[in-house]
Amino acid sequence: MTDTTNQAADNMVSIEIDGQAVQVEKGSMIIEAADKQGIKIPRFCYHKKLSIAANCRMCMVDVEKAPKPLPACATPVMDGMKVYTQSKRATDAQRNVMEFLLINHPLDCPICDQGGECELQDVSMGYGRDVSRYVDSKRVVKDEDLGSLIATDMTRCILCTRCVRFLNEVAGTDELGGIGRGERTYISTAVGQSIKSEMSGNVIDLCPVGALTNKPFRYKARAWELMASAAIGMHDGVGSNMFYHTRNGDILRTVPQDNDAINEAWIADRDRYGIHGLKNQADRVLHPMIKENGQWHQLSWQDALATLVEKIKAYSGDDIALYTGNYSTTEEYHLLQQILTQLGSKNHEHRINVTDYSVTDRLPRVDVRLQNVSQQQKVVIIGGYIRHEQPILNHKIRQAWLNGAEISSFGPLKFEQNYQLLHDFVGNQVNWVKQLASLAKSVAEIKNQFPEGELGEWVKAQKTDEDINHLAKQLLKDEVKALFVVGQIAQSHPQASAIKAVTAWLVNITGGQLNELSAGSNAAGAYLAGLHADGDIKTKEHRLNVVYQAELQDFADPAAIKNTLTNSDFTVAFNAYCDDALKSRVDLILPIALLPELTGSVINNYGDRQVTTVAQKSPGETKPGWRVLRVLGNLLGFNGFDYDDINDVLVETEKYSISPSAIQQNCQINEPKAKGLVLFAKQSIYDTDCLTRRSAPLQNSPLASADTVFVNDKDLLSIGFKAGDLVSVEQDGRYAELTLAVSDDVPEGSAVVNMGRESALNIDAANLCVSIIGVQS
Amino acid sequence: MYQINPQNEDKHLAMSLLTDETRAQIDQWLAKYPHDQRRSALIGALHAAQDQNQGWLSKELMQAVAEYLEIPPVWAYEAASFYSMFFTTPVGKNKVAICSNISCMLRGADKVIKYAEAKLGIKLGETTADGKITLVKEEECVAACVGAPMMLINGHYHENLTEAKIDELLGGLS
Repeated sequence: MTDTTNQAADNMVSIEIDGQAVQVEKGSMIIEAADKQGIKIPRFCYHKKLSIAANCRMCMVDVEKAPKPLPACATPVMDGMKVYTQSKRATDAQRNVMEFLLINHPLDCPICDQGGECELQDVSMGYGRDVSRYVDSKRVVKDEDLGSLIATDMTRCILCTRCVRFLNEVAGTDELGGIGRGERTYISTAVGQSIKSEMSGNVIDLCPVGALTNKPFRYKARAWELMASAAIGMHDGVGSNMFYHTRNGDILRTVPQDNDAINEAWIADRDRYGIHGLKNQADRVLHPMIKENGQWHQLSWQDALATLVEKIKAYSGDDIALYTGNYSTTEEYHLLQQILTQLGSKNHEHRINVTDYSVTDRLPRVDVRLQNVSQQQKVVIIGGYIRHEQPILNHKIRQAWLNGAEISSFGPLKFEQNYQLLHDFVGNQVNWVKQLASLAKSVAEIKNQFPEGELGEWVKAQKTDEDINHLAKQLLKDEVKALFVVGQIAQSHPQASAIKAVTAWLVNITGGQLNELSAGSNAAGAYLAGLHADGDIKTKEHRLNVVYQAELQDFADPAAIKNTLTNSDFTVAFNAYCDDALKSRVDLILPIALLPELTGSVINNYGDRQVTTVAQKSPGETKPGWRVLRVLGNLLGFNGFDYDDINDVLVETEKYSISPSAIQQNCQINEPKAKGLVLFAKQSIYDTDCLTRRSAPLQNSPLASADTVFVNDKDLLSIGFKAGDLVSVEQDGRYAELTLAVSDDVPEGSAVVNMGRESALNIDAANLCVSIIGVQS
Repeated sequence: MYQINPQNEDKHLAMSLLTDETRAQIDQWLAKYPHDQRRSALIGALHAAQDQNQGWLSKELMQAVAEYLEIPPVWAYEAASFYSMFFTTPVGKNKVAICSNISCMLRGADKVIKYAEAKLGIKLGETTADGKITLVKEEECVAACVGAPMMLINGHYHENLTEAKIDELLGGLS
């Protein structure tokens, strides 16, 4: 105990800032010490999460015995140092720097989006002159089109290079640089391309002036007109903390909220621009609607619920099935579960992104908390493109790589990563799983211990190679535990249970750790509410189906669910959106609010229960889901539905205890049939849910997917079509019309179809056999 | 400190645009630095590429250099646009750079520039119609203040310039 205190003391130095004594870590900079103490030093280029550039010179401070003012961001503390931030020498230096910074700044604050929340504006209020002494002409910089997300006004740029450093250090895409020299320097991509990072929007928050601003938000509002409401990200299992900025109850933009345990100071573009999906009202359901004789009619909530109650009462519990997406609140799931249970139905499933139902649902196993991922030294990614699944997690893996970690990956595509991979095992959807099993074989041979049962037989049957043996040795080397990350590709794989079982065995035998990723923002909430069933309930055709906040595109096997819904007597959708594909298969639509329009709790992949608050009123007659379910429960005459407000439900869901269960090792091994081309049903970054699909800024950005099927160049000959041709992807007699495209990243014999799109509604991820033929029409 | 991130493995520009000789020269530069500091080889590599291309660097050529060095293309543009010895537009056969920095300026660099411009009939940054001479747009101090005013002709120093000397030097270029 004493040792550690001494060590801690050894590591600290005492300095004095403006007469206040501060204890700070050796090697830290004056500005960090001042920030810790709450002493404000003006700055533009310094940012706590980025490297030090010291190029704006705004943070000049007066240090005793130093011959001239020093930049606080780049001057390390020394024991006994005395710093003055307000002395004449310090403020003179700051004023002079400010004057230089403003020489080329246009001062077009009245028409600048940053006005009112501009660091330059704020600091110039404190340190600038009233009237400029500069009389010569000002520099003008031509604007660049950085894509649909970021607006540019590069004349306003003060060359702090925060954006350049962010893209180099955090995003890892190196898309911006400082071109030219001296006062003619400007920030540019130099080639005029859009910025392609999945985290690109963060440069908007980093920009201390109005050079980089939020494009969809442009000219929409002034900072002081906005109200902030704290919210949780809806598009992945990270649960990023953020603020929705609203004016008159209308969400206009999203900004991150610092949380060092989760998203640090960043959010993914998906979380920033997803809300623009709310602006797309084309197929938003605004009133309860019913289909009578093939015609849709509006009806009142009262009539709609009465009709639903009547329908429900006509069937026994077993005839009723529920399918729900993974981005509603825990409270809605809780009430759904209560209703289904009291109806006597066990057919309720939230795992709509899954194709292997052979093992029971459980919470994902998470051994390493998000904030500790960056300290890992070995990471093995299994069936996941983490960069698009959980951009924030990927950022942490990248941090680990920057700290020297070895990262390897198993998957069906050679993904573009922002870290180097030690090994990238790429094979079609059947082969990469075999490669994973051969890793287990290699490890088993070294340890002389095989998994038990069928899993062991399967592992023994694999062939190992040099690369696999190398990775096996690396995993067993030293005392360093590896972190295995099982991604969404594995989760929705037809062999998901085998993948998870063999991974769990590997984790166990190598003394490693395991993080399994879940779909959506609240899969854990749905699981804890108990919304899971035994086996695939779609295979039994239920008479009455309930679809709760899910679109056909959200299902891993849209063709199967289409079939199920078509063959039932009655289907009710509790949805915010209802496109034509879903409309043609449901009979009653009840409009319910989406996460940004709701208060409720969401439980992220890592077990953090966070409460998100309503930011905007839902449109038309849309109601919060929990309220509709509460009334429905009452109308059905069930007990326990007399909640006064959402807090009463929150009290109940708060009791959920998060305790992951063991991973089943005795799973059956059914290698999927592979005939023709092997399908990889890919979930693209902006096709994840109803909002990203409808968000115009996201859909117009370079990472958006298209209605394409990708194959390897070498397969073109046998397919008989050329890139750019419109083709049909045939699966079980169903066809999806897609444009053929070629990519070297696709392994030979594979066909990659972008799921989550209307064009892929005839494709099932459960079936890996597809062929590419001419258009069938 | 900057990070070296994984780059696109496609090297077809590097292999098609850079000559064998250029690539060999870049290899020599690369050998001088640790792999994770290969950015240091950039200036030498850009010189080699510029020399094979009539004295200037096209965007594609800069991209080829970046590809070959496995660094982000924007780093090549940054360096090429920063240094006055790199040219990103076509240039004449001879590059004449007249120093206009403080010492030379005090010793009459402005007159030298005016004289040279009048003699060649072009402005700074332009190339003569016969493609023989480019007047470099801007030359910073090259540490020859002792002989100010001075100019660089194809990298060679010529000091204590007079009108007669300029006539002789520029007249001798072919």
